[in-house]
Amino acid sequence: MKVLMANIEDVMREAAARWTLVAYFFLSTIFILIFASAINLDIVDGALAGAKLFGKQVEVSGTMSIEKLVMGFESGFSGVLYVLCTFLAIFATAHLVPRMQEKGTIDLYLSRPVSRVKLILSRYLAGLILAGSNVLYLIGSIWMIVAWKTHVLHPRFFLAGAIILFLIATLLAFAFLIGVVTSSTAVSIMATYGVFFFGVMLAGHARIEAALSKEWQAMGIKLLYWIMPKTAELATAVVGFVAGPQVNNEILKVTAAPFVSTAIFGFVCLALASWLFQRKEF
Amino acid sequence: MSQTVIEVSNLKKKYRSSVGRSLITALDGIDFSVREGELFGLLGPNGAGKTTAVKILLDLTRPTAGEARLNGLPAGHPESRRRVGYLPEGHKIPSYLTARQALGIFGKMSGLDNVTIKRRSLELLEKLRIAQWIDVRVKKYSKGMTQRLGLAIALLHSPHVLLLDEPTDGVDPVGRREIRDILRTEAATNGTAVLLNSHLLSEIELTCDHVAVLRNGKVAAAGSIEELTRRATQYKFVPVVPVDDSLVAAFRESGAGVERVNGHMLLTVDDVTHLNALVDKLRASGGLLAELSPVRSTLEDVFVDLVRAVDPGAQQSVEGDAR
Repeated sequence: MKVLMANIEDVMREAAARWTLVAYFFLSTIFILIFASAINLDIVDGALAGAKLFGKQVEVSGTMSIEKLVMGFESGFSGVLYVLCTFLAIFATAHLVPRMQEKGTIDLYLSRPVSRVKLILSRYLAGLILAGSNVLYLIGSIWMIVAWKTHVLHPRFFLAGAIILFLIATLLAFAFLIGVVTSSTAVSIMATYGVFFFGVMLAGHARIEAALSKEWQAMGIKLLYWIMPKTAELATAVVGFVAGPQVNNEILKVTAAPFVSTAIFGFVCLALASWLFQRKEF
Repeated sequence: MSQTVIEVSNLKKKYRSSVGRSLITALDGIDFSVREGELFGLLGPNGAGKTTAVKILLDLTRPTAGEARLNGLPAGHPESRRRVGYLPEGHKIPSYLTARQALGIFGKMSGLDNVTIKRRSLELLEKLRIAQWIDVRVKKYSKGMTQRLGLAIALLHSPHVLLLDEPTDGVDPVGRREIRDILRTEAATNGTAVLLNSHLLSEIELTCDHVAVLRNGKVAAAGSIEELTRRATQYKFVPVVPVDDSLVAAFRESGAGVERVNGHMLLTVDDVTHLNALVDKLRASGGLLAELSPVRSTLEDVFVDLVRAVDPGAQQSVEGDAR
């Protein structure tokens, strides 16, 4: 526990000293403020009479219940937060392993009576806590703004935070693996963003497979699809979870498969990163 | 009987600088041991394998063959580092931390509680004369101050073994003496074993009890400073009245080497009997002896001789084998 506490303190102090924390939360705050000022709702007797977004009147068909509006609004917005939170988190935490592995610094960490696996996992958890605090800040703030403006409490919005954190945990494991191997923050960030986009691209694997002339190529794409994290499917899951079961939309139907395969990807990356770090010579 | 806390036996380390390159031998079967309370110096030219040996002890790198043990446990076992303090050469304490924060983080990682960390931090920073900088970020520190803080981190958890790589690098002469005093006190009062890895031979000479000189990955010499620096057959011979040439000639006839230096002589003799025979000759001629003492080399002389030795495979050992 002391090792974890020391790592959390180290990660937070570094984030604060290097302005990462300030930039991280500043960008999030800007986003929240824009959001807060952009939405103006006109509610009469619990029903939405009119809405303005960025000063422009939004067409409201008939009398839309305010609950439905909040649900639709938050589910749509959770998709934006999914990308924003993930990108900010990777940018703020990808350096954790490369910095620790710097010559002259790693000796100070490894000369402690702590196993290497414990050290890297503590650092991973510390990074996750940093990212999680930002996710909570963004989701919590937006939820409160919506609640303040509409008086509607929609707790399903927090499910978006859980899924976003799940994806961050997966991608951070991959960033740690790249960090252990290359000791480079830039490569870690680029490779992790690459995996994110590659995952989105592979969501259309069926179409890619159909376009390929050879069977082994199609098999390769299918295999890659099952190996890589399901970033596109998870984005859909975020929206689907926040919208809830009452939305009868086939696209938003959530299955366990993307979660399971993404979790396996993250677990394998983290296990591999720990194993390589354990074996690495400095 | 003091306990052996660092044991290195037949330690070998070979590595490739990159894929496809030939093997480099960093350590070629070295042996040494350090007992509690002992100040031990590890010497050698660049690339001799000193840092590799220390890194193996701390599990920063693994041996190709042989064994290294710390506090009775195999190096590599995290518990073997429980009571070990390490100051690496060119260490980089995270620059965003203050001394208090750095000591707090590394103290916790060593298993200390907050109360002990606070008490020991103040105690050590006072001793190392950087207490007034406790809340200043490390990036503002001079090299000497960073070095002192590094030593404080190494000493924080009252280690049983201290592994120090160039601990006085960048430290002013007064600071060097203070660090020497701290190390001696730790060894004498707490029984801390100190392994000092340094190029500053005078520093090692002033601090350590025993040394091992590494050359080409092997122990070229090992023993106490006194044993290594004593020239077994050369003596400073100071008569009350300078001896005349006939007596010098008689000394030379006996096979002794004689060199006149500023009113005294340097005699190179075969053994102690030969030396006594020369003293008898002086007395027989009516002369009196004011001083007779063995000539000592500096550690630097010994080091340079060893490093320049023609046969790189030859091992000189004062105590027989390296301890």
